[in-house]
Amino acid sequence: MKKLSLILALAGLAAAASAAPAKAAKAPKAGKMATADIKLSEARQDEFYERVEIPTPAGEVAEVSSIALLPGKKVAIGTRRGDIWVAEGAYAADLSKIKWTKFASNQHEPLGMFWKDGSMYAMQRPEFTRLTDRDGDGRADSFDTVSSQWGVSGDYHEYAFGSDPDKNGDVWMVLCLTGSFHAHAPWRGWCARITPDGKFVPTTSGIRSPGGIGANDKGDMFYTDNQGVWNGSSSLKWLRPGSFQGNPTGNKSAALANFPAPPEPTSGSRILTERLKYPEFVPPSVILPHGKVGNSPSGIACDMTKGKFGPWESQMMIGEQTASQVQRINLEFVNGLYQGAVFHFLGGFEAGLIPVRMDQEDGTLFVGGSNRGWGSRGSKPFTFERVRFKGKVPFEMHDISAKNDGFEVTFTHPVDAAAAADVANYTMDTFTYIYQSSYGSPEVDQTEPKIKSATVSADGLKVKLAVEGLVRGHIHHLVVGDLKSKSGDTLWHNEGWYTLNEIPAAK
Amino acid sequence: MPTPMRPLSLLALLFSSVLLVAAEDGAQVYNSLCVACHGPDGKGLNGLPPLVGSDWPKGPAARSIKIVLSGLEGPVDVAGKTYNIVMPPQGAVLSDEKIAAALTYVRKNFANGAGAVTPDEVKAVRAATAQRVTPWTADELLKAHPFPPAKTALKNLVGTMYKGEWKVMPDFSTLKPAMMEDFNVGVIDPAQSGLKEYYAMVWTAQFEAPEDGKYTFFFDCDDFGALYVGGERIAEVKGIGPVGGRAKEVPVILKKGLTPLRVEYVQYGTNSAIVLAYKGPKDKDTKLLSKTKGGKAGKPAKEKVFIPIQPKDGVAAIYRNFIDKITPRAIGIGFPNGLNIAYSADNVAAELFWNGKFMDGGHHWTDRGAGNEPPAGTNVIKLSDGQGILLEGSAGSVVRFIREKDAKDWKFSAVNVAAEFKGYDLDKAGNPTFRSAGEGFALSDAWLPEASSGKATLTRTLKVTGAKSIVVVLARDLAVSGPSDGVAEIAGGLLVRAVSGPAPKTNANDKSLTLTLKPGETAVLGYSFR
Repeated sequence: MKKLSLILALAGLAAAASAAPAKAAKAPKAGKMATADIKLSEARQDEFYERVEIPTPAGEVAEVSSIALLPGKKVAIGTRRGDIWVAEGAYAADLSKIKWTKFASNQHEPLGMFWKDGSMYAMQRPEFTRLTDRDGDGRADSFDTVSSQWGVSGDYHEYAFGSDPDKNGDVWMVLCLTGSFHAHAPWRGWCARITPDGKFVPTTSGIRSPGGIGANDKGDMFYTDNQGVWNGSSSLKWLRPGSFQGNPTGNKSAALANFPAPPEPTSGSRILTERLKYPEFVPPSVILPHGKVGNSPSGIACDMTKGKFGPWESQMMIGEQTASQVQRINLEFVNGLYQGAVFHFLGGFEAGLIPVRMDQEDGTLFVGGSNRGWGSRGSKPFTFERVRFKGKVPFEMHDISAKNDGFEVTFTHPVDAAAAADVANYTMDTFTYIYQSSYGSPEVDQTEPKIKSATVSADGLKVKLAVEGLVRGHIHHLVVGDLKSKSGDTLWHNEGWYTLNEIPAAK
Repeated sequence: MPTPMRPLSLLALLFSSVLLVAAEDGAQVYNSLCVACHGPDGKGLNGLPPLVGSDWPKGPAARSIKIVLSGLEGPVDVAGKTYNIVMPPQGAVLSDEKIAAALTYVRKNFANGAGAVTPDEVKAVRAATAQRVTPWTADELLKAHPFPPAKTALKNLVGTMYKGEWKVMPDFSTLKPAMMEDFNVGVIDPAQSGLKEYYAMVWTAQFEAPEDGKYTFFFDCDDFGALYVGGERIAEVKGIGPVGGRAKEVPVILKKGLTPLRVEYVQYGTNSAIVLAYKGPKDKDTKLLSKTKGGKAGKPAKEKVFIPIQPKDGVAAIYRNFIDKITPRAIGIGFPNGLNIAYSADNVAAELFWNGKFMDGGHHWTDRGAGNEPPAGTNVIKLSDGQGILLEGSAGSVVRFIREKDAKDWKFSAVNVAAEFKGYDLDKAGNPTFRSAGEGFALSDAWLPEASSGKATLTRTLKVTGAKSIVVVLARDLAVSGPSDGVAEIAGGLLVRAVSGPAPKTNANDKSLTLTLKPGETAVLGYSFR
């Protein structure tokens, strides 16, 4: 789960800021996730979002590992123990009337589930399965193994996460390594696609320890990978077919399909250095700085609700196991790569989050999770919850966009133009991580770019920051100071972390 | 003007590095990195290991430094409980100074004021373990940095070793000792003999009772032995065998003070073990006097949780998880008549057969669930290993990726086999029909419980469709006898009766029982225990 991935993230959730770059100290509120800040932002959450715990089946240990949406406003959960339950009434105002029906028992830890053409599909540890209720009694009676071509050694850490079908009907899966350090079975550490007729198509190498998988609004597939060996920090990564995702542990499987050998990168280097050597090495789209943004990212849901969940159309919502939160990411495509910014968003969930599922029609975000085996800030052993937008748009940085000479920040409400034009209201620091075979990395190569000017757009929604000292390959951490909206609102969250894989050309 | 600047900048550098060291705040490091698992009070969060009450952070600093630098994985006993998780290494993330500060904080606050750790100590361990790429195991660490011997109630412990082969207890007064030694640790351990096989050992000691009252002794060993307290033989473990089934529990009334204690022990063959423990009148927990824990002796290795999985209301139970002695893609079915099978989807074969309890979910459904879980019942028979469906004269055309281990590492390859698993159907009572297929054929393999004859039976119906003949391996590498009167016997107890259709054949060469099915044929078999 968590990473399931992961090894325990140690983490700093509540982190006081020991790791903060010293240079950022003068920032208005420099970037750490102090406990007090978390509490403050979670306290304001109620102004904008309604978070509700959904009662799980009575007497059952419902460690939610998958969430699927069914016709007729039914919602299914899969659990780590392998049970699949279907709820009627999970959308209702009165959740006490919720009705749960058991669809299947004791499957093998489904991590990724969806409903299609009258059947449930579940990515289980050993196989991708179609479960069908042929006699209509509400319980699955036919279990078709669609594919089971990957290796399973029996190690508890060999999680398999599956996506929804893409436009071709293919389901993408990411296969965790054996433990943290090994590939003891074929295709561990790979992403593969399973076609509708069950063909297994290895698609990318370089996976370490996934926590979730999902597509953006363009249909490109992403997954979250957790801090560990070759991952200085956790991140959101783009699964470009044919790519290498950075961890060479599973490389030896390439020979099974006569693929070219994936890169054997140099330990102790930087991602930028190595990916320029190896064109197939796709760098993380958005790095989620360890201990600052979270410790173990999990499920992915793209907001395509057209505003029903707030003004975040096309943005990615990322679950966070350790911190029991949902983070928000804006992506853009620059020079052939994805990059973008991550922001703190929703918090206070009751257990470590694993799956995140958006009902795109109605704008309800379902999340679930468990803290078995990996600690989480939410203290319940398991949870199933829903979040809805209340209609009041928080004053937030909507997105950060890279420019040739700086960044453009778009806000959700017009800003106070005078304050927004004052460069003293912005602080930026950059850093990266060592790309290495050891576990994690300290933040290194810190710089402090200079913000030369802040130019406010006529409508007050955009601020163009001219920045001297952009560093390709670095995370650019922006902290906004005493900036209010035109109507006097303060920012709900005042910082973002932009991964600058590429600096766009001047237009 | 570089020259005049140099001393100044050197000074500045020194100064700043001193400041940096002084600035490392152990509480801050702990509260940002360690707290999520070990908790703000060091007592552990969400079932993760505590530091308070643990021996691990105490004693030599190098042990703790190694754990922080390279991590720890696998089973580890902490404060009386066994954990099986991974502590992620922090050596690549934290400086020597930060690690020293954090460990100093931990040792001061959670480890009874064990001494401070300096950055130089961390630096030295880091250099010495630079080649270490995987986390340590608890065994490795304790071998290099053992816990100090606990003071036990055994005083003046002396061990005497005798070489030889005995199947019953010898008269030690007639034997010539091969070795005699003092063991001030006060802990009995067969390894003190220095031998692994065929020896006997006698330990004598004074047992110190802290007060008058009832002392209950626990005694067990592999192979056999006797326990004397106050000159009287109070317990004896007889015969050849492992610890577990023959453990003795005997109460004795003792006066405060020293009482003679004697253990006689014989190892016939290998696998030495002695379990000796006691519980005094005021003790809450059992106290161990031997190195080995076991049975009721000593603290429980793990707070085991039992979550029985069993048929309910006449409906068979299913369990899909890692089952011991079968491949990872296992599907266990527990039938209401008390018979159970586990089917390997890797090998398209029913590989395990047992009776009694089906499975215990307590292992996989608590903590991280590492490892395999054996069947919960009895008479577990491993029917076969390897492919369960064969073609005559051909390996088949289904490609599977497999793994094999050589001396160094796992190797992967693609192989051709006859069939692959296609899934299963469950009837209303949860009874499975497993489906498999290869080029030109499909097989359905249905299992139904029967109890009509009074003896629990599973009726297995195998039906092949398509254009090919196949060979179904029912058992392999097992003692197979018969068939006589249509009944073959497997592993001295499991009966396979040909009910209708083609009958199974035994093959002495590979000790197998196989069934050949031609296109369209159906065979019905009955499985029961003798």
